Amino acid sequence: MDLFVQTLVNGLLQSGLYALVASGLALAVGVVGIVNFAHGEYLMIGAFLAWAGSAFLGVDPLLSLPVIAVAVFAIGALTYRVSIRHVLLAPELNQMLLTFGLGILLQNLALMLLGGNTRTVTTPYQASSLQLGDLSVGGPKALAFGLAALLLGALYVVLYRTTLGRQMRAVAQNRRGAQLIGIDVDRVYLIAFGVSCALAAVAGVLVSVLLFASPTVGLVFALKAFAIIVMAGLGNLTGVLWASVLLGVSEALVQTYVPGGGGWSDAVFFLMIFGTLVLRSFRGAR
Amino acid sequence: MSARQAEAGAPVRAAPRREITPGAALPLLGFLLLAALFPFLPLGSRAEFLLQIAFFTLVAGIMALSWDILARSGQVSLAHAAFYGLGAYGYALLLKAGLPWLLAMPVAALLAGGVSLILGAVTMRLSGMYFAIATLAFTEVVRTIIQNLPESVAGGATGLLVPALLGGNSRAQYALAWGLLAFTVLVSLAVRLTRLHFAFAAIRQGEETARVLGVSIVRFKLLAFFISSSLAALAGVLYAGKTFFINPLETFSLANSIAPLTTSIFGGLYTTLGPVLGATVLRVAEELLHNSVKDGYLVVYGLVLMLSILWLPRGLMGLRRNRKHGGDL
Amino acid sequence: MTAATTIGGTLSPASQGAEVLRAEGLSKRFGGLKAVQDVSFTHHQGEILAVIGPNGAGKTTLLNLLSGVYRPSAGRLHLMGRDVTDQPMEARCHAGLGRAFQIVRPFPEMTVHENVTVGALFGKPGQRLPEARERAWALLERTGLAAHADKAAHELTLLQDKRLEVARALATNPSVLLLDEVMAGLRPGEAQEAVALVRGVRESGVSVLFIEHIMPVVRDLADRVVVMDQGQVLAQGTYREVTADPRVVSAYLGTEEGLQA
Ligand SMILES: Nc1ncnc2c1ncn2[C@@H]1O[C@H](COP(=O)(O)OP(=O)(O)O)[C@@H](O)[C@H]1O
Ligand SMILES: [Mg+2]
Repeated sequence: MDLFVQTLVNGLLQSGLYALVASGLALAVGVVGIVNFAHGEYLMIGAFLAWAGSAFLGVDPLLSLPVIAVAVFAIGALTYRVSIRHVLLAPELNQMLLTFGLGILLQNLALMLLGGNTRTVTTPYQASSLQLGDLSVGGPKALAFGLAALLLGALYVVLYRTTLGRQMRAVAQNRRGAQLIGIDVDRVYLIAFGVSCALAAVAGVLVSVLLFASPTVGLVFALKAFAIIVMAGLGNLTGVLWASVLLGVSEALVQTYVPGGGGWSDAVFFLMIFGTLVLRSFRGAR
Repeated sequence: MSARQAEAGAPVRAAPRREITPGAALPLLGFLLLAALFPFLPLGSRAEFLLQIAFFTLVAGIMALSWDILARSGQVSLAHAAFYGLGAYGYALLLKAGLPWLLAMPVAALLAGGVSLILGAVTMRLSGMYFAIATLAFTEVVRTIIQNLPESVAGGATGLLVPALLGGNSRAQYALAWGLLAFTVLVSLAVRLTRLHFAFAAIRQGEETARVLGVSIVRFKLLAFFISSSLAALAGVLYAGKTFFINPLETFSLANSIAPLTTSIFGGLYTTLGPVLGATVLRVAEELLHNSVKDGYLVVYGLVLMLSILWLPRGLMGLRRNRKHGGDL
Repeated sequence: MTAATTIGGTLSPASQGAEVLRAEGLSKRFGGLKAVQDVSFTHHQGEILAVIGPNGAGKTTLLNLLSGVYRPSAGRLHLMGRDVTDQPMEARCHAGLGRAFQIVRPFPEMTVHENVTVGALFGKPGQRLPEARERAWALLERTGLAAHADKAAHELTLLQDKRLEVARALATNPSVLLLDEVMAGLRPGEAQEAVALVRGVRESGVSVLFIEHIMPVVRDLADRVVVMDQGQVLAQGTYREVTADPRVVSAYLGTEEGLQA
């Protein structure tokens, strides 16, 4: 029973990170209408920036986090300007392939410049843990979860309580209509895409502390984020939360209870993608 | 009434511009001829190395062209690495089970084709990015399964040794790869020149409309999957037999899905010559870069993919004289 | 009789006047909107049936139910005496249903001739490519598109696109042809041609169900008229009967089309 509770808690903590990556992706999909296959690469950039800050400047990743978020926001905005913007009206296939190419480009640039090795970040709190009765929770994990919760809360406040947020939601619902009532759609897109990338980068900073930084670290998180937004329904931000929990907890359960579960837990997201897509396509009209 | 009569009076059966003439096959024949002659060129001291690059160029051609055949039916897949890998692993395991290589090769291809029917059935109603994500995830899971099978079965994460193809004779290996590419070209032409072309193109350009006109999407989408994946598996067999060591990470690498996709788009989608030409250009570029950098040479594919989408949507084939309705093959 | 009868295979002169299409209580909801509600009618062999009604009455949705684009929320559909309610679009096409869309849907990267060839090739099982090409040529001549055969479909004008819709649907060799406002936007002379074309189609043994707003065309062509309003059948009968029906008149009052009887 204790093992079960511990498993649930572990899964829940993991889901905070997932929700952070996936809500960024959902923002790009929902507001800009672009499925960003390069989303994981902004996570990778965030992880490497955190590692660089720690290794070369001695700055703790959690301290460099705000700077990294702003920097990657700028990179995302630049990406929007030079590429995404040109395919907004193109067929979905072109948009998809463009971001896909972008992902390959970024990942391989990282490989070229930094090599394929994983880089770890050492922090004083790395080995710490919180003791709650019988439960033991890794310090960095709890910290990551707390930060993710905080940021997601902030994202909701921005979306539902500010003018910019209202504009974003208006554009998401009806681009033409938003344009007619005088919203600068291009600017909203740029900000939304930048924020989307910044959210991934923040997740990347946390990943650098929890795991490591490497050129390919983004891919698996991007895949899981895809699973989450597919489960949640494209562009549905609230759905992202429960879908993240579902994925995090299911993975933890597989890890604990399936023999050799470590190897299999990475396939859980796949079953969820398939389960959801198949269910949806069979429920839909012929 | 008069308008209609004027139209009807025009030369009605002038040779349709889209009709494919035998001449359209000339560039393809030329390419295959050049490829066939390659080993007989005076390659000098680096012959072995050049032959190996040429071999993998042919493999890349098979991958790209087979991917394109599936794309013609509107299914833009990121699962090509899965079938490449299933071909490689199927071949290795069938050899281990004692099958002669000449039998193991087609059986591995057909097995991969069979597995593709499962994926095809599940993704039947998906399109666009849902389809892409599902196929991407499928690849990851096939890899996870192979990796987590007991080591005694498929070698686990470490990998498997595969007996060298044709006793390691690189000229013979090249000839075999050439033969399989020629076979793939024939299959592609067959798809282009028969009713399959109309079924695939109709499904791609308007699935619902195609169905209302009687095109059975189940049959044709699955057929596209089967043809495409079996051919990709043949490429995997060549890879396994040439490198004589396969592991899940490299064999099922996303790169093996990216390369055929990028190559086809760069060369010219929905044609036979385009993907083959694209493979030649990109493979050479990749090798050149690979010589100077150890990691990240795939950057070529990312860059080419982005630039093609932004500036060269019809690929290399679109660069030829402006033949808007050219009867391209 | 000709083409359709022999190839459809199920019709004989004796069954002339038999029902080709029977809808029983067909309904379709979109969320809370009842787009089609409890629609029943019978379409007989060789008959030209018109469906009229104001914009948004549910006519196109009804056609989507007939051709299988939508699955009905309730009701059954019989085609050539067989229950096809659970059959997918392609099976209904093979069973003899042809359809031209109101919003034209050419395959944009194909030539006009190739577009029609798709219908000729797959509309019925077992067709061969060379014959399908030939039949496509014949249909292009019949619909006045022959001179444009080699154009890419996206180069056509809207009127030509509408002809292409009809040619492609006819190419599937249907027993019943569904036409959705194919004459909208035609000039009077062109409309007369279209009327002649539809008559010719019926002469060849095909039953026609068409949606149309142009009342003179309905009067000239239709053997029987089904009037729809707000998803429901308001009246059915001959043109004279339905236009005399006070409910029909009041449904049309205040709509921009009016009743130009
Ligand atoms: N796919 C759909 N989803 C939601 N509502 C629809 C859909 N298709 C049609 N409708 C609605 O159903 C009603 C009937 O539409 P339609 O059948 O196109 O009318 P008509 O062809 O008679 O003009 C309209 O109110 C329309 O807005
Ligand atoms: Mg309508």
